[in-house]
Amino acid sequence: MKLSILKDELQAGLNAITRITSKSITLPILNNILIACEKNFLKLASTDLEIGIKYWILAKTEKEGAITVPAKFFANLINLIPDQKIDLEEKNNILYIETKNYKSQIKGISADDFPIIPQIKSNKILEIKAKTLSEGLSQIIDTASPSQTRPEISGISFSVSKNIVEMAATDSFRLAEKKIILPKESSIPETSVILLQKAAREIINIFGEDTKRIKIYFSPNQVMFESEMNEVKHPHIQLISRLIEGEYPNYKEIIPSSFKTQIVLSRQDFLNQIKTASLFSGKINEIKIKANPEQEIVEVYAQNPDLGQNKSRIKAKVRGQKAEVCFNHRFLTAGLSNIKTKEVIFGLNGEEDPAVLKPLDDESFIYVVMPIKSS
Amino acid sequence: MTKEELWEAVLAQIKFKISKANFATWFRNTEIIDKKGNAIIISVPNAFSKEWLEQKYNKFILKILHNLDREIKEVKYVISHGQPKKQETEDLSVSDIVPDQLELEEYKINKLTNINPRYTFENFVVGPFNEMAHAAATAVTKNPGRIYNPLFIYGGVGLGKTHLLQAIGNKIIEDFPEKTVRYIPAERFISGIVNSIRNHDIESFKLEYQKVDVLIIDDIQFLAGKEKTQEEFFHLFNSLYERDKQIVLSSDRPPKAIPSLEERLRSRFEGGMIADIGLPDYETRLAILKTKIKQKGTNLPEKILSFIASNIKNNIRELEGALNRLVAYQKLNNKTPTLEVAQSLLKNLIQGPKKVITAKQLIKTVAEFYDLKEKDLLAPSRKKEVVKPRQIVMYLLREELKYSYPAIGRKLGGKDHTTIIYGCEKISKELEKNESLAEELRLIRQRIVSG
Repeated sequence: MKLSILKDELQAGLNAITRITSKSITLPILNNILIACEKNFLKLASTDLEIGIKYWILAKTEKEGAITVPAKFFANLINLIPDQKIDLEEKNNILYIETKNYKSQIKGISADDFPIIPQIKSNKILEIKAKTLSEGLSQIIDTASPSQTRPEISGISFSVSKNIVEMAATDSFRLAEKKIILPKESSIPETSVILLQKAAREIINIFGEDTKRIKIYFSPNQVMFESEMNEVKHPHIQLISRLIEGEYPNYKEIIPSSFKTQIVLSRQDFLNQIKTASLFSGKINEIKIKANPEQEIVEVYAQNPDLGQNKSRIKAKVRGQKAEVCFNHRFLTAGLSNIKTKEVIFGLNGEEDPAVLKPLDDESFIYVVMPIKSS
Repeated sequence: MTKEELWEAVLAQIKFKISKANFATWFRNTEIIDKKGNAIIISVPNAFSKEWLEQKYNKFILKILHNLDREIKEVKYVISHGQPKKQETEDLSVSDIVPDQLELEEYKINKLTNINPRYTFENFVVGPFNEMAHAAATAVTKNPGRIYNPLFIYGGVGLGKTHLLQAIGNKIIEDFPEKTVRYIPAERFISGIVNSIRNHDIESFKLEYQKVDVLIIDDIQFLAGKEKTQEEFFHLFNSLYERDKQIVLSSDRPPKAIPSLEERLRSRFEGGMIADIGLPDYETRLAILKTKIKQKGTNLPEKILSFIASNIKNNIRELEGALNRLVAYQKLNNKTPTLEVAQSLLKNLIQGPKKVITAKQLIKTVAEFYDLKEKDLLAPSRKKEVVKPRQIVMYLLREELKYSYPAIGRKLGGKDHTTIIYGCEKISKELEKNESLAEELRLIRQRIVSG
């Protein structure tokens, strides 16, 4: 293998693919990335056997071939090299890196031992704006359950129906749902899959700044996200991930459609007051929200026998019943930070039923959160 | 050679040809699932394994298979479904979650089956007092409808009947997803019947229950005295029983002791398996406390746990209540309670029932149990139906309240202390050989402590 490449482009590629490499004891090669020279491209690839990422860069190639090298080590080296043009050459499983002022050699492992990243053959293809998808995912991803005890809710529900894409995540204490309206109806039949949380995170990282459209290929147990190169008609990045088997809970039913108390208030002020109260809430994370429709006021209250107590108030439009409900402040801040509008609707349904946070005049995002039973 | 043996033989040979790491990665969870003509079909856990086996080891595997079985000319690989690998990762969020944090409805109780997934066999603590009920319950989940039908579980308040019942439901749902499971407290069953009678659609109510494969009814003793409900239940029971559908029932007393229950229902309840849950012993109580505290994600000193276990004896729910109180204290004050603090916090839980038991109450309870009047017990009558309960009173006064023989004599209307000694001895002797007397005493004791 022999080729020349621009440092910035190589660095961008490494940034995209190295995050999923893992320290695997059973298969040390998973710690490595694949560097291959194919026709006019340099191909980079990495995998953890659940997700695989391939990345192509146009390069001046002289000889085809491939090698694998330790991911983090190689990326660190490239980051530190100031020179723009980099020559890469492989001989006897050693990677020679040469620039104007630097000469390095890295011991690699033969590319033959690198796992083959499966190809997806599917004509169920959805096109979507990369940035819209990433932004939507980032609004809900942290709500997914970190535990593997129930695999289906550890993932992200992703369903397409006509021109609506619905994404949802829950950890059984709260639920976030994001809707994206496509400009035109998708050509694929109704599809529902459960994405790995990790895959969703990589999508946000890799395609977050991409202003173009990407293609999503669905197959029965895998999914592929693909972006195309600007210059030529060739894939630029492909992310292939396994899907979580099983059925996502029918969450629509638990989203309350009406509220006993409806509050409209400034998102930033509310967030600040919750953060202040959280300082006093101690280990149990409990804060109390009181809403009074007569005074048009919401009170945020927290106390802790060791620290003291704190009470703050905020002007709000309150309709319906008087309410006093306790929440885990982390759940409220998480919901509020994923809302982008200036004002939010906070719907309460008494002390033991689900509450809702959603942006004012925007139906695309909804966050359901369960209270803490007040003692 | 069976499919399993064939694949084992292949793996045994491959093991020597490739590195341990490769073997562990690519051949884990693989198996031969089918043989079609000349082709062998191998299931692999994921797409990566499929690609790798297809492209790297295919020739190799085929050669070995061909040597073992000349007919085999081709190997195909499919990605297996159904068994998603379970990763046993540490549950990160649990420590952050407050025990009082409520869950979204959907995840708490399955609307269709009414079963709370929290109740499982895994978190059911087994001890000598509930071993039998637990064994019967697990047997039922292995083969629903075929053995022990109906399964009748009875025991006092707060000893885990509902937990066991729901665990049966959860296990069956897990192992036999095609079966319809329905859990319903008798109370709700009754109001369901009442409502459907009022709305004149009793037929659709019946149909709904005819469809289930496993019917679990909690607190069946509430059927007592509800004649119409008993009649409907009788028909439902028969129709399910005839079709080998599993029925599980629970009650706070054995079928015999449920008053005004129709004879035909009683005999049906007794027709399957009756298992009782008794009072947990000290070791089991301690084990339960340790399980609960682990679930709550906190810790309390051993000394305090054994204090709770040795003082709260009759009710697991109270045991948990005591624990909750201490955990709440720990959280609010941010320090671990000392033994003295625990004693004062749990004072009313622990000392409450002890104070309540008086000789008068004991006599009253026994009299009620045998459907006698208190004064019959105290009068000098020698009728057989009065003599035995009277002796039981003597025995209990001696055993539970540690009264002296002459004191017992005085309480029972001035009897001689030798009469009392005779009575107590007679009961303790009888207890050794008469199971049903032991059972009666146990129930009486439970009534006394639960007031």
